[in-house]
Amino acid sequence: MIIVAAAAGLVFNLLTPQGIGWLPSHMAEPQWQAVDLVQAVELQKEGAVLVDARDPGDYKSERAAGAVNLYPEEIKLLWPLLEPTLREAPAVVVYGRYLSRWPAAQVAQFLRGQGLPKVYVMQGGLTDWKRAGLPVKSPRRNRP
Amino acid sequence: MRSLGELISLACRLFLAGLFLWAAHDKVWDPATFAAAVARYDLIPLGLVNPGSVLLAWLELVVGLCLLVGLATRAAALWAALLLAFFTGLMIYAGFTGAGFDCGCFPGQGDHPAGFQAALRDALMGLPALWLLVLPGRWLSLGRRRERPERLTLSV
Repeated sequence: MIIVAAAAGLVFNLLTPQGIGWLPSHMAEPQWQAVDLVQAVELQKEGAVLVDARDPGDYKSERAAGAVNLYPEEIKLLWPLLEPTLREAPAVVVYGRYLSRWPAAQVAQFLRGQGLPKVYVMQGGLTDWKRAGLPVKSPRRNRP
Repeated sequence: MRSLGELISLACRLFLAGLFLWAAHDKVWDPATFAAAVARYDLIPLGLVNPGSVLLAWLELVVGLCLLVGLATRAAALWAALLLAFFTGLMIYAGFTGAGFDCGCFPGQGDHPAGFQAALRDALMGLPALWLLVLPGRWLSLGRRRERPERLTLSV
């Protein structure tokens, strides 16, 4: 059953226009550069804006201090709102979750496509950011 | 009593077939969107997201078709149970990590947030698959036709 599924999926993806390759374009031909945590912190000190590419629910619950939220699903809607801030910044560092970096790479590729010259994707995501003791912002809970 | 069992098996089979075909339709037709939904969980390495999501979508479709026509029902039910168990685990994980995004279970068909509620839904959907593992049934089943000549041979 799994062999039939794999064969059918392969044939469909090869023959139809909506078929996908092994990697998406924003990862196969990235226009952004990957940076590690140390480099990301240095860039932030130099004025780079942090972009959180996770979903708004994740962003609201916890984010790197100072990060703005720009996520793939509504990127075209949010871009005009964030454009002035991101264009003024000397660089943009995008982060997401930790393993695939897919949404972060997608956002970074979009930003490069909009003409931003220095766009980086931070390896490790927010988990490593927190582990390094770097500042995070989470909503305050109302105390009774 | 046997007829009641057959009726329940048929209902379980058609319910699961409808569920899997409904879920697979958009995933198969729009693999890029489904791959993005899979990537949001951030559970599998990047290089496996596209092939993994394509395989998953087509596996759902094949399982759904097998259940619909009653071909290899027990094997299809086993796959359905395994997939639903996997989805249940995934939703529990999403619940613990606080992921508030759409689960990607039924792309393009409304918002289904990932989390504990989705885990409960997937676990309940696994019950018909477990029933079919025990009693696959023969009503309206292609598998039944295939088995008939063997029985005739045995009786002769």
